[in-house]
Amino acid sequence: MLTERLQVLLSRAQRIRLAADAKRRHMSVGALVREAVDARLHSVPVEKRRRAIAEIKAMNGGRYLTPETLERIVDEERERPLQRIGRRARR
Amino acid sequence: MTFLIDANVIVYAAVPSRYRDACLEILEAVAEGRADGRVSTAIIEEVWHIELSGRAGAIDGLARQTYLAFSPLLPVNDRIIGRALDLEARRLGANDRIHVATALANDIDTIVSAHADFDHVPAIRRVDPLDEAQRSRVLRS
Repeated sequence: MLTERLQVLLSRAQRIRLAADAKRRHMSVGALVREAVDARLHSVPVEKRRRAIAEIKAMNGGRYLTPETLERIVDEERERPLQRIGRRARR
Repeated sequence: MTFLIDANVIVYAAVPSRYRDACLEILEAVAEGRADGRVSTAIIEEVWHIELSGRAGAIDGLARQTYLAFSPLLPVNDRIIGRALDLEARRLGANDRIHVATALANDIDTIVSAHADFDHVPAIRRVDPLDEAQRSRVLRS
């Protein structure tokens, strides 16, 4: 529910950009500002974020790999479905 | 100062190495709101690929915890892919070009990463997590 009113001063250029983008996306300027706030500010409470980092800190079964190896793993993981499709196509 | 956090910083925060303490310091500062580090959808996808591959050991849940700590993520959209395709960065692969384009599209000129290939891209400044002076600078500002 929208209950809070906020008065914000903008430059003329910012106002024009906001209005143009809102018009292009068929939405109100207010809805666009609310969307921008949600996109920019943390949506998870700080306690939950702290717990997430604590979970990462508590991990103890990991193994160090060089940055280059990490890059290769990502590339290989992305190629795996393509390789499966390739094998299926060759059958 | 807003900066982008590369996937290797997140992975190194979870695995034993000389990087761990420095990377955890960065993640903690951001999660507590003391520093303005951002993560993109492409970066969390990389973390998830590494986690699921099992090759970095048991880091189950790392992508989920990263999401909780860094949501909202920076999106990768049509405009960013276009910018990545135009980027002058011959040493970088597609993923890293997308990271640079994501940063630039969000007025971010710094990436914290252990990957030295970013040093050859004039459009972005890399901060190595082990560089104490640089790390302190991005976390303070």
